[in-house]
Amino acid sequence: MTIAAGLDWTNLLADKVALITGAASGQGRAAALLFGAQGAKVVVADFNDEGAAETVKMLEEQDSEGIVVHADVSKRGDVDVMVDTAMERYGRLDVLYNNAAVQMSGRLVDCTEEEWDLTIATNLSAIFWACRKALPHLIEGDGGSIINTASTLGLIGSEGFAAYGAAKAGLAVLTKQIAIEYGPQVRANVIAPGSIDTPRFRKVLDKTPGAEKFVEQLKKGIPVRRLGEANDVACIALFLASDMSAYVSGAVIPADGGLAVYR
Amino acid sequence: MTMLEDRVAIVVGGASGLGDAIARRFAKEGATVVVADIDEPGAKVVADAIVADGGNGIAVPCDVTKSADVNAMVEEAASIGPRIGVLVCSAAVESLVPIVDLSDEDWQRVLDIDLKGPFLCMKAAIPHMVKGGGGSVINMGSTLGLIVAPGHPAYCAAKGGLVNLTKQAAIEHAPDKVRINMIAPSATTTGLFMKHSAQAPDPEKLRAQIGAMNPMKRLGDPEEVCDAAVFLASDMSTYLSGSVLPLDGGMAARRIV
Ligand SMILES: NC(=O)c1ccc[n+]([C@@H]2O[C@H](COP(=O)([O-])OP(=O)(O)OC[C@H]3O[C@@H](n4cnc5c(N)ncnc54)[C@H](O)[C@@H]3O)[C@@H](O)[C@H]2O)c1
Ligand SMILES: NC(=O)c1ccc[n+]([C@@H]2O[C@H](COP(=O)([O-])OP(=O)(O)OC[C@H]3O[C@@H](n4cnc5c(N)ncnc54)[C@H](O)[C@@H]3O)[C@@H](O)[C@H]2O)c1
Repeated sequence: MTIAAGLDWTNLLADKVALITGAASGQGRAAALLFGAQGAKVVVADFNDEGAAETVKMLEEQDSEGIVVHADVSKRGDVDVMVDTAMERYGRLDVLYNNAAVQMSGRLVDCTEEEWDLTIATNLSAIFWACRKALPHLIEGDGGSIINTASTLGLIGSEGFAAYGAAKAGLAVLTKQIAIEYGPQVRANVIAPGSIDTPRFRKVLDKTPGAEKFVEQLKKGIPVRRLGEANDVACIALFLASDMSAYVSGAVIPADGGLAVYR
Repeated sequence: MTMLEDRVAIVVGGASGLGDAIARRFAKEGATVVVADIDEPGAKVVADAIVADGGNGIAVPCDVTKSADVNAMVEEAASIGPRIGVLVCSAAVESLVPIVDLSDEDWQRVLDIDLKGPFLCMKAAIPHMVKGGGGSVINMGSTLGLIVAPGHPAYCAAKGGLVNLTKQAAIEHAPDKVRINMIAPSATTTGLFMKHSAQAPDPEKLRAQIGAMNPMKRLGDPEEVCDAAVFLASDMSTYLSGSVLPLDGGMAARRIV
């Protein structure tokens, strides 16, 4: 790991290999494009093959390099293959960005066992599996970085997110655990997004009656008075992925326009 | 490409340690740097080095506990030309005296410099940032403002208070596009930590011990703090406000923060 004085801002991830889950859409895709533009080779992992292929096409259009890896991260076998494929293709791994997640709403008594199991598998166990599989490779490299995406809803309680909130909070502590256990070689940090205007967010909105009014109300509760963009989150991920954050580990960085400050 | 062009960056406490390093780095990133410090000769050394290196920097004497000083310093910064885009509050002192032995004067001195200082600086600079269309304030906290160690009651209280002052200011000025965040370093190889550890019977041994306590098994490097400061000062972090960025090798991850 280099301690960076006078970094090359145009090439912060030169020669690095970054694996991003859920990179077929939203924040994952924005990070893939930004990491690619900063010199990284990007492993675009998702179970949405069409979206993943589109992300790689966009990478190629900006003269960056990337590959699609099909993975349903809620399945341990897929996660192992995902990391193996990255290693086979590029021979190294520097950044593991666990961004894929499902979001199922439901108050505790309405949350079915299937919903619970799938949420915990996708949003928590998947991160454990991916880190376990990737850590030996990250350790071998020149200082690896793990980025795990939680949510404001993993920091605070909120009505209707029993499984999601528990998985995201668990992920935050798992990340701190990794930061401490593998400190000398690997850094591990959490990004906690607030309300980010991604396809997922739009999907929820489409089902919300009076969506426009809901968004206006939502913005009033965000200190900077706007929704986040996928690229706002990607910039924070770039900071955490690169040597800019060489002494940052075990941190939970809100990407929320100040939302969590109210809590 | 540089990250901080077309803006004035005020670095309060810029004559020494982390403030010195941040001032020099911001100049490298294209900012016009105002090195503000009670130590005028020290501030001048840093500003001169910036200019010798091809950058823009001036030294302005300022005692952060005196509002007249702070206001005059900020007015001078505002007169330079480009908008005031960045304020770093890095001036601080420590007092290594346990509660029952701590004098009223010592308590007051630490709170005035470490907590009231950032208050006065923000109060003076934020209106200029609002006028200029936005800005970024970085308050230097400490691991000791998040988790405590025995023997630093005044410093821990001031830094803990600064956490909430940072959040408060962030909420109040988020609609004005002024972002306010904190960097919370653990022991780094400069400034206060080096001065304080130099008083130990075996400074190198103490430093090695403290480094070994860290999950990364080493002390922080001032350049690493500069990297984070550039991130928070620049447009890389436009959706980040009210946050506390621990720059501590994972130190605070052991505790509830
Ligand atoms: N958008 C928000 O407001 C918001 C808020 C807080 C947290 N987050 C978190 O941010 C991350 C990214 O969300 P987004 O808004 O970009 O969502 P998105 O729906 O736009 O993208 C998520 C991607 O993950 C993929 N994915 C889902 N389940 C998967 C699985 N089992 N295996 C492989 N891929 C899978 C999807 O196919 C999709 O491409 C998630 O972890 C989410 O929980 C988002
Ligand atoms: N060095 C570390 O390891 C470390 C660790 C954690 C936090 N910090 C924090 O980082 C910041 C910078 O610390 P440092 O180590 O560079 O300290 P330092 O002592 O090297 O520099 C502090 C500067 O503040 C100035 N100052 C003191 N009183 C002043 C006043 N009344 N008005 C104006 N200027 C005044 C001093 O002259 C000095 O130049 C501080 O907020 C400190 O609490 C430092």
